[in-house]
Amino acid sequence: MTPSALRLSCGDPAVAAAVRAWLDALTLEPPAPVTLEISVGRPAADPPRAPTFAQPHLSLWTDARGARLTWDGAPAEAVLPGVEPVARVTLSAQAVDRLDDCCRIFLLGVVILLLRRVGWHHVHAATAVDPNGRGWLFAGNALAGKSTTAAWCATRGWAVGTDDTAFLASAADNVDVVAARGPLALRDGGNALLSRADGTPLPSRGKTGYRPEDLGGRWVPRVRPEIVAFASVGAAGGGTAIGSIGARETLAALVRWSAWVLFEPSLADEHLGLLARLAAQARSLRLTLGPDLFAPGDRLMELVP
Amino acid sequence: MTITYRRHPDLRLAALEGEGVVLHLGSRKYFTVSETGVTLLELLAEPRGLDQLVAGLVERYEVDPARAERSVRAFLDRCRAAGLLLETGS
Repeated sequence: MTPSALRLSCGDPAVAAAVRAWLDALTLEPPAPVTLEISVGRPAADPPRAPTFAQPHLSLWTDARGARLTWDGAPAEAVLPGVEPVARVTLSAQAVDRLDDCCRIFLLGVVILLLRRVGWHHVHAATAVDPNGRGWLFAGNALAGKSTTAAWCATRGWAVGTDDTAFLASAADNVDVVAARGPLALRDGGNALLSRADGTPLPSRGKTGYRPEDLGGRWVPRVRPEIVAFASVGAAGGGTAIGSIGARETLAALVRWSAWVLFEPSLADEHLGLLARLAAQARSLRLTLGPDLFAPGDRLMELVP
Repeated sequence: MTITYRRHPDLRLAALEGEGVVLHLGSRKYFTVSETGVTLLELLAEPRGLDQLVAGLVERYEVDPARAERSVRAFLDRCRAAGLLLETGS
């Protein structure tokens, strides 16, 4: 078996085993090794200045010396010096007590920062390949319907990579998007729309998880997007519809969904360049989701033949 | 007094089909810019006077100088307000 390029060192055997299993489940093979060095102890106090970026649960400080990430669920910090592909992580005992959440929320953020250092740049999006072999990237905020759309794609036999966590990767003249593997996580509303109740409960998230294979699709690790769809849930009574979106708006929207890591100074040029190449490579559209999407048939293939 | 303008060193520009998006790494804000704005920001990679910026637009878009100057002044005002510009007087 080839050693994972997501390397881990941790002196606590139980933490090491759990984090190793979580890393392996992501099914990511970056182009160069990155290393998580985890210790259990007391994280340093926050710097006196405000975070560079704060998003739900995570605070990020960046400057020319590197990056520092903390979690609000329990004391935990990661320090990434410069652009070295190494993260020195300190987890408190409270963070270890919540290791599932710590991995899913905090260590995923650390992995996102690490992968930037070997050329994979995060984009908050779902990925899929339609029956015609076209790659899709669905971007949007947390309530835009990405997960439900990704799950819907699987029910129509599409290949699905992720409903949430993806990485832009340069591939010769193209930009590919690599999926971090994880359950397609549906809220109750998504389960109802898909008429499903047989997924794996994800109690800490209040959601239900499915693999694409559970829904009739298959998993795809890497997608070359031909279509970028900015999804949103339409007004009550409205149908599923598409609209055009210009290049400038496409790039701005992609920036918006990558903003939390994009502003790290030493890597901003590379990340912004990949976003611009993706916007140039793909056809972009606004996708308004309506309940007719869930009627028999493949409404997206009808709208975007 | 001659004033020269230069884009802020914290600014990053991505152009796409003529238009573009600008990031300001210091303020952590981003802006969309028109094709003309991209042209001016590319010129502003080096210190430029108002006349040089106007001449750049006239040459690129074959517009009359008075109209180009109005566009440049309006753009500089917007950039100044957004902190995208450094100004030096001599």
